[in-house]
Amino acid sequence: CSEYQKALNGEDLAAKFSIGEELYNNGKFGKANRLFAQIVPSYRGKPQAEKLMFLYANSFYNMKDYYTAGYQYDRFASSYPNSEKREEAEFLSAKSSYMLSPEYGKEQHPTKDAITKFQLFINSYPDSEYIEEANELVRELDGKLEKKAFDIAYQYYKTVEYTRDYNAAIKSFDNFIIEFPGSTLRETALFYRLDAAYKLAMNSVERKKQERLEKAKVYYHSFVNRYANSEHLDDTKDMLENIEEELKKYSTKS
Amino acid sequence: QETTFEKGKKYTLAEITVNGNTNFSEQTIITYSGLKKGSEIQIPGEEISNAIKKLWNSNLFNDIDIYLLKVEDNNAYLEIRLADLPELNEVKITGVKKGKRESIIKENKLTKGVKVTENLVTTTKNYLVNKYKKDGFYNAKVNINNVEVIDSLQKSRVNMVLAIDKGKKVKVQDIVFTGDSVLTEKKLRKAMKNTKKKSFFNLLKRSKYIKDDFKEDLTSVVDKYKENGYRDARIISDSLVNNKDNTVTLYVDLEEGEQYTFGDISFIGNTVYTDDQLGRILRIKKGETYNGVLLQERIADNTKPDANDLTNLYQNNGYLFSTINPVEVNAEGNVIDMEIRISEGKPTYFNSVTVRGNDVTNDKVIYRELRTRPGQLYSKANVVRTIRELSQLGFFDAEQISTDFKNPNPNEGTIDLQYGVVETGSSQIELQGGYGGGGFIGTLGLSFNNFSIKNILNKEAYKPVPRGDGQKLALRLQASRFYQTYSFSFTEPWLGGKKPVQFSTSISHSKQFLYNPRTGNADKDKRFNITGISVGLAKRLSVPDDYFTLSQAVSYQHYDLLNYNTGLFTFGNGYSNNLAYTIGLSRNNTYNDPVFPTGGSNFSITAKLSVPYSLFNNVDYSALAAERDEKVDVRDNPNNNDFVRNNAAARVSEIDQERFKWLEFYKIKFKADWYTRIVDKLVLRPSIEFGFLGAYNNDRGVIPFERFFLGGDGLGSYSLDGRESIALRGYENQSLQPIDENGNVTNDGGSIYNKYSLELRYPITLKPTAKIYVLGFLEGGISHNSFRDYSPFNIKRSAGLGLRLFMPAFGLLGIDFGHGFDTVPGQGNQVSGWQTHFIIGQQF
Repeated sequence: CSEYQKALNGEDLAAKFSIGEELYNNGKFGKANRLFAQIVPSYRGKPQAEKLMFLYANSFYNMKDYYTAGYQYDRFASSYPNSEKREEAEFLSAKSSYMLSPEYGKEQHPTKDAITKFQLFINSYPDSEYIEEANELVRELDGKLEKKAFDIAYQYYKTVEYTRDYNAAIKSFDNFIIEFPGSTLRETALFYRLDAAYKLAMNSVERKKQERLEKAKVYYHSFVNRYANSEHLDDTKDMLENIEEELKKYSTKS
Repeated sequence: QETTFEKGKKYTLAEITVNGNTNFSEQTIITYSGLKKGSEIQIPGEEISNAIKKLWNSNLFNDIDIYLLKVEDNNAYLEIRLADLPELNEVKITGVKKGKRESIIKENKLTKGVKVTENLVTTTKNYLVNKYKKDGFYNAKVNINNVEVIDSLQKSRVNMVLAIDKGKKVKVQDIVFTGDSVLTEKKLRKAMKNTKKKSFFNLLKRSKYIKDDFKEDLTSVVDKYKENGYRDARIISDSLVNNKDNTVTLYVDLEEGEQYTFGDISFIGNTVYTDDQLGRILRIKKGETYNGVLLQERIADNTKPDANDLTNLYQNNGYLFSTINPVEVNAEGNVIDMEIRISEGKPTYFNSVTVRGNDVTNDKVIYRELRTRPGQLYSKANVVRTIRELSQLGFFDAEQISTDFKNPNPNEGTIDLQYGVVETGSSQIELQGGYGGGGFIGTLGLSFNNFSIKNILNKEAYKPVPRGDGQKLALRLQASRFYQTYSFSFTEPWLGGKKPVQFSTSISHSKQFLYNPRTGNADKDKRFNITGISVGLAKRLSVPDDYFTLSQAVSYQHYDLLNYNTGLFTFGNGYSNNLAYTIGLSRNNTYNDPVFPTGGSNFSITAKLSVPYSLFNNVDYSALAAERDEKVDVRDNPNNNDFVRNNAAARVSEIDQERFKWLEFYKIKFKADWYTRIVDKLVLRPSIEFGFLGAYNNDRGVIPFERFFLGGDGLGSYSLDGRESIALRGYENQSLQPIDENGNVTNDGGSIYNKYSLELRYPITLKPTAKIYVLGFLEGGISHNSFRDYSPFNIKRSAGLGLRLFMPAFGLLGIDFGHGFDTVPGQGNQVSGWQTHFIIGQQF
C-alpha cells in the first residue's frame, strides 16, 4: 500500500495536505488533485486554505481541465483579495479561458471571455511580469474573431453565384471593416467589397444601375486611397474603367 | 472614547473577537468576514460593510453586527456579533396523503439541514395555498409552526410542522347573469371556458372555482358580446356567494349596451399598399355587424404567427417598424366609421446576422443555410423558413432554435438578428444482433452526420470524432452465417463551398455463401464476392424551378464467383465487371412535414447505363448466341451421355462468361407519387412505379444482375448485386417472380416491373416527439422478363391496413397487414392471403 493510497483512504487531513503537496511538486497533478479535493471543504475558513486553494486550482490547470481551473482561480481571487498570488491567479484564470477558446469557426463565447479577462488583468497590473504574454494572447484572440467575421463575409462573397445576393457580401464586409479597423485582412476585405459592388452594378437591372455604379465607384476610391500599392491595383483599375464607361450612358442621357 | 465616524479614519485592525450563539469557530467566522488582523481598515468604510455582506451571503447567520469596541493608538478593536440560523431537522406534514408529502418537501426544498429563514416559511406557505387554490380548493389553509429541538447537540435546530387543511373542493352551483337579454345565458356560460356550472353530464370539464380563471372568463363573456356588435358591453360587477353545501354561486351583473354596425372603413398613411390591397386582407364590409374581435384579428392576430393579417403583410415585406391602429372616428346612429391609421416606417434591413451556440458545427455550415442575410430586407417569413431549415439539418435541437432581435434602429431602418442554436448529438451507433435470413445476423453501424473529414488526421479534433463540417460518414459491418458485408460512405453536401452540390462516395465489399442442404450451413466453397465503389454528384437546379435535383454517379462493381451455379449464373467460376453511369432527375415539392406530407408531389426518373461494348469490341454475339442455344439443347437433352452433356454445359458457361465479362445494359426507372388533402387531415396518396432493364444487343442478352424483385416489405436485401427490392404488400418478400417461356417460375427477379398504389393516411398525432399515422392501401404490381409477357393491368392485387410511428431517435417504424388477392407464382392455386410486414426506416 503506497503512501498515497494510505493518505487517500485515511482521515488525517494534515497528511493529505503534505502528501498532496509533495505529489504536486513532483508533477503528479491528478493524484494531488484527488487529495486536495478531499480536504478543501474541511480547510475552508482556515489560514492554510489560501495556499491549498491556489495549489488546487493549479492542479486543475495542469490537468488541462481549464473550465474548472478558471472557476477555481476566480474563486481564489475573490476569496483572497489581498493574496500575493492574486495577480498570478487572475492571469491564469484569463489563460484558462484562452485555452478553452475553440477554433474560429465555432461559437466564440470563451474567446470573448478571455479577452475581457486579459483586458481587466492588463488594466489592473500594468507592470506585471505576465504583461507581455497577456498582450500577445489578446492579439491572437482578436485575430480569431477577425478571421471568423472575415470568413463569414467571404462565404457570402463566394456563394454569390448561388444566392444572387451581392448585398449580403457588401454589407458583411462593410460591418467587418467598421468592426475591425486595424485588421490585417482589411485590404482584402475592401477589395472583395469593391468586387461584389462592382459585379452587382454590372449585372444590375437598369432601374438601379446608375446608383449601384456610383456606389461601386465610392468603394473603389476608398480602396485605392488606402492601398495605393496593392497587388489588386490592376484589377481595380479595370473595374474603374468599366464603371466610368457604363456611367457615360447616364451622363449623355441627362 | 471619541471616534470620528463621519470622516472615516484609517486604523490598524488590532483584534477581532466573535460573540453570540454560534457553533462556528472564531477563526472561521473571521476568515469568512474577510477581515484580517493587522491590516489597515477605514472606519466607517468599505471593509466593514463588505464583511457584513459576506457573512450574510453565507446564509448561515442571523442578527449580524460588527461593533467597534475601542480605539487605542490608532488600533481598532472589533467585535462581530451574530447567531446561527436554526437548521431544519424534520418536517411533519398533516392533512395530505402520504404520497404527496414527498413532493411538497421537494418542491419547497425543505431538506434536512437547510437554514430556516423567515423567507423560507413565507414562501412555502404562499406556494402551498396558491397551489391548492389553483386546483379548486378555494378554502385551503396552511399553517406552519417551527418547534425548537432541544437535545444534546449544541446546534440550533427546529422541526417544522406543516398543517394543511385543503378543505373541500368548491364547485359552482350556478352562474347567474343579470342585465343580459340578447344573448342566452347558455351561450354566455359556454363562452366561459374555465368556469363551469356543476353538472352531472359534464365529465370532461369538472366544475371548480379558480379566481384568476374566472376573471379570464369574464373577459371572454365581454368578447362574446363584442363579436356580436355590442362593443360597449361590460361587466358591472361580479360576486361570489358561499352556499351551505360547500358550493358557490357566481353572480355576474353586466350591461349589454347597443348593437353597432361597421360604417366606412378608410386607410390612412399607406403608401406601399393600395386601399384595395389592404381591404382584401381586412375583409370587413360596411353594414356588417360590428365585431371588435374580428377587426383586431385581421389587423394583428396574436394567436397565429403566420396569419394572413395586415401586420404580417407589412412585417413580411420589410416594414418591421410599422404600426397599425384602428381608430373609431364616428359612431353616430350606432354605425361606426373606422380609420385604420398606418405608420409604415422605414423599410428595415438586416445589419448583422449572427449565430450563437454552435460549439461543434462550423459557421460556414450554418451561414450557408441562412435565408436572412445582412443587407436584406427584413422578412418574418424568411426568419421562420430559416429556423425550419436549420432544424432540418439535424445538428441542432429543433425545439431550442431561437431568434433574438437586437439594436432596432427605426431611423436608419436596420436591425440585428441573432439565431441561438443548441447542438445535439447527431451521430448514431447501431449495434444489433438478431435472427433473420436463416441464422444470426450481427450488425455494427456507425454514422456521423456532422463529420469533418479535413480533421481526420488532426489528433486534437477527436472529441470523440472530428465534427462540425456537416459531412456525413458512415461505416457499416454486417455478418451472418451466409454473408458478410462491409461498407463505407461519405457525403459532402456543399462540394467546393460555392453551391449546394452534393458529393457522395461509397466503397463496399460483400461475400455470400450458398446454402449447403446436407449440413444446413453455409457452404464456404460456394461463394460470391462483390466489391464496389461509386462516386456521385447531385445538384439542385434553378430551372425550371428550384424543386428539381439532377444527380449523376459513376459506379464500378466487380463480381467474383466460385462454384456459384444457380439459375442465371451459368458461369459459376467466373467473374463480371459492372461499370455504369447513372443519371437521375427528380422533383420533390411535397410539404410540409417530410414524415407526413399533406400536399405536393414527388417524381423521379433515373437511367443507369453501361458502355455499349458490343458496338466496338468485335465479338460476334449472334454466332455465340446461336452456338449457346445449340449447346443448351445438348446439355438439357437427357438422351445424351454425361460426357457430352458436361462438355456442352462447360461451353455454355464459357460463352456466358464472355457475355457477362463486362455487363452491358441500361436500366430505366420512373416513380411518382402525389399527396392531396381530401377532408380535414385525411391525405390521399396515389403512386405509380415502373422499371425496365434492357440490353443494347439482344444477342448478348439481358444480364443476371441489376434485376427487380417484387413483393413484401421492399426493405433492402443484403445482396449487393444491384438488385432492387420493390415493395408489394400482401405477398411474401420477393415472391412475385416472373414465369419463363416454359411456364416455370424463375428466382432471379424480373427485368420489367410496374406497380400502382393508392393509400389513404390519417394522422393520430404529429407532435415533434412522436408522429403517428394510420393508413389503408390498395395496390398491385407485376414483374416480367420480357415485353412479350408484359401487360400492365394483369397485376397481383392486394389491400390492407397499417400504422406508422416516427420518433426522432428511432426513425420510422411501422407495421402493415396486407391481404393478397392473387396467387403467387410457383405456389399453386392458393391465394397469398394475409401477410404481416414490419417496416423500418422506409416509407411506402
